[in-house]
Amino acid sequence: MDTRRITVDPITRLEGHGKIDIFLDERGDVERAFFQVPELRGFEVFSVGRPAEDMPQITSRICGVCPTAHHMAATKALDALYSVEPTPTARKVRELVYNAFMLEDHALHVYVLGGPDFIVGPDAPPSLRNVSGVIAKVGADAGRRVISMRRRLRELIGRIGGKAIHPVLGLPGGVAKGVSPEDLPAFRALADEAVDFARFTLRVFRDLVLGNDAYLRMITAEAYTHRTYSMGMVDARNRVDFYDGDLRVVDPEGSEYAKFPAHRYLDFVAEHVEPWSYVKFCYLKPVGWKGFVDGRDSGVYSVAPMARLNASEGMATEEAQAAHDELYAALGPKPVHYTLANHWARVVEMVQAAERIRDLLADPEIAGADLRNLPTAVPRVGVGAVEAPRGTLFHHYETDGDGRIVRANLIVATQGNSARMAMGVEKAAKEMIRGGEVREGLLNRVEMAFRAYDPCHGCATHSLPGQVPLVLRILDRAGRVIDEIRR
Amino acid sequence: MLALGNDLLGDDAAGPLAARTLASRYRDRVAIVESGEAGLALLELIEGRRRVLILDSIRSGAFPPGTVREMAPESFRGVLAPSPHYAGLPEVLALGRRLGSEMPGELRVLSIEVEDPFTIREALSPAVASAMPRFVEAAAGILDDWLAASAGR
Repeated sequence: MDTRRITVDPITRLEGHGKIDIFLDERGDVERAFFQVPELRGFEVFSVGRPAEDMPQITSRICGVCPTAHHMAATKALDALYSVEPTPTARKVRELVYNAFMLEDHALHVYVLGGPDFIVGPDAPPSLRNVSGVIAKVGADAGRRVISMRRRLRELIGRIGGKAIHPVLGLPGGVAKGVSPEDLPAFRALADEAVDFARFTLRVFRDLVLGNDAYLRMITAEAYTHRTYSMGMVDARNRVDFYDGDLRVVDPEGSEYAKFPAHRYLDFVAEHVEPWSYVKFCYLKPVGWKGFVDGRDSGVYSVAPMARLNASEGMATEEAQAAHDELYAALGPKPVHYTLANHWARVVEMVQAAERIRDLLADPEIAGADLRNLPTAVPRVGVGAVEAPRGTLFHHYETDGDGRIVRANLIVATQGNSARMAMGVEKAAKEMIRGGEVREGLLNRVEMAFRAYDPCHGCATHSLPGQVPLVLRILDRAGRVIDEIRR
Repeated sequence: MLALGNDLLGDDAAGPLAARTLASRYRDRVAIVESGEAGLALLELIEGRRRVLILDSIRSGAFPPGTVREMAPESFRGVLAPSPHYAGLPEVLALGRRLGSEMPGELRVLSIEVEDPFTIREALSPAVASAMPRFVEAAAGILDDWLAASAGR
C-alpha cells in the first residue's frame, strides 16, 4: 500500500514534542493520524525515599504551568495519607487560593489561546492569530485588564501561599499560613473586581462569538464532536467543585454512570498504552478499552471544562448557573459533546471561580486562626484529587511507617483527554484531506481540535519556543518530501 | 538576568544553575530572577527593566550538547503551539509594547544546547556539566559590558 505521511510539527524549542503524523492510504485519504506528546520521566524514582510531606513542594515544582493544582492534589493526598481533615478555616483558605488559580489560568487560556480561535476568528490570517490580534479585537484597555487581573490574582495566591509558582501552603491537616484580617479589605475589593472581570469576559464571549452564526456552526460541526463519557468533580449536591468532592461520570446520554471518592480511582480509571505514543490513554476500566471510538461501549471519556459541566447537575454559584443554563439552552441538552464548546464552558467556570473567591472572602471564618489539625495516624496510603484547569488530577502515594514514599503515581489532567484528543485530530484531518487534496487551513483546523482542551504537554516546558516553526510535511512512501508548508 | 528552567528536570536546570554561580559576583548590581514559567508570565518578569539577559537551555538538535550560543530574540518565531504557556518571546514583546508596558531597551538571549531536559532528577548530563563554565563566563561577559556602559554614562 502506498502510504503517504504528513507531519504537523507545532513545536516549541523541544524537538520531537507534540508531533502529529498523518498517514494517507492509496486513495490519498487519511488512514490514521497520530498525536504524539512527550513523556516526563523519572517521577516515581525521584520520589521514592523522600518524606511524603515534601510532595506538595516537589510536584508543584515539576510543572511551571499548573503548580497550584499539583500542590493542592498533593496536599489532599497527604490529608488522606495521615487520616486528618483540614480545619474549616484551612479548607476555606485552600479553596480561596485554588479558585484564584483557576480564574487566572482560565483567563490566560480564554484570551491568549482560545483568543486566536474564537476572538480573532478561525479564518483570520496567521499574522493576526496571536495575542496581538486578540488585543486588536478587544482593545488595549481590555488587554491591560487581563494582564492586571492575572497579576493581582497571582499576588493574592503569593500573599497566602508563598510564590505563586512555588506554593508552600499545604500541610497535612491544614495550611502553613492563613488570611490576615488586615488583608481582607484589599482582597475583598479584588474579589469584586474579579467577578466584574468574569462578567466582562462572558460579555466579550457572547458578543464576539455567540453573535456570529459562523462560529456557532463551527462549534456544532460534526468534525469537532465526540460522544464520550464525561468526568468531573462534584459537591454533595452534584454541582461543579474544583477543589473537593466525589468524581462523577455520566454516560454519552447524560445518565450517571459512576460516582466515586478519589481513593477508589483505580477501580474506575485505567491506562492504555499504544506503541506510537509515550502518553498513557486513560479510559473507564469497567467499560474497557475498545480503541479510539465514541459511544457508550467505549471506555473513552473526557475531562476539563465541558466535561465538568456535563458531569454535574449545575454550578455552585448563582451567576455561573445562569451562564451554564445559557450554554445548554444554545447547545444542549446535556451532555454537550462539542469539543469547541470547551471555550465557552471555560468562561462559565471563570464566573464560578470569581464568585467563589468573593463568597469565601465574605465569610468571617476565612480569616480564622485555627489553621491546622495535627496528624497522629501512622501513614500508609493516600490519594488526593482536584480539578486542575485541564481536568481531573490524581496524586497517589504509598509510604512506609515513617512516612517515606515507597510508591507514587500521578494521573495528570491531560491524560484524561488524551484519547479524545487523538480522535479529534484524526477526525479533523479526515475532514481536511480528501483524495490527496490538502485543504487550506489544515494546520489550524487540526490544532483547534486539541487546543480547545488546553492540553499541557510535558508538565514542564517553559520558554524559548519557536526554534522549530510549525511544519507540515507530506512524504511519499520512500520518505521523500513531496510537499512542505511552513509558518 | 532572567534564568529560565526547572532545577528538577535534569539539563533544564542549566540556566538557574548558571545564575546561582553568578549570584555572588553580581547580586549587588544585577537583579537575578529564576523562573520555570513561560509565555505571559515572562511579560511580568521583564517589563520595567532597562536591559534583560535571558539564560536558557535549548534542545535544537542542530548542535552538540554543551554548545553555548547567543540568539537574536527575533529568531524565536511566533509559534502557534498547543498551549498558551508556550507563547513565544516575540509575542510577549509585541504584546507588552501594544499594551504600553515599558519593555527592555535591550534584550539578549544566551542559550546552552542540552541533552535531556525531560527526566526528573537533580543532575546535568556530562556534556552540559562540562560546558557550564563557558555558559557562565559568556553571561558574565554580557553583564560586564552592560555594567561598564552604565558606569560610563
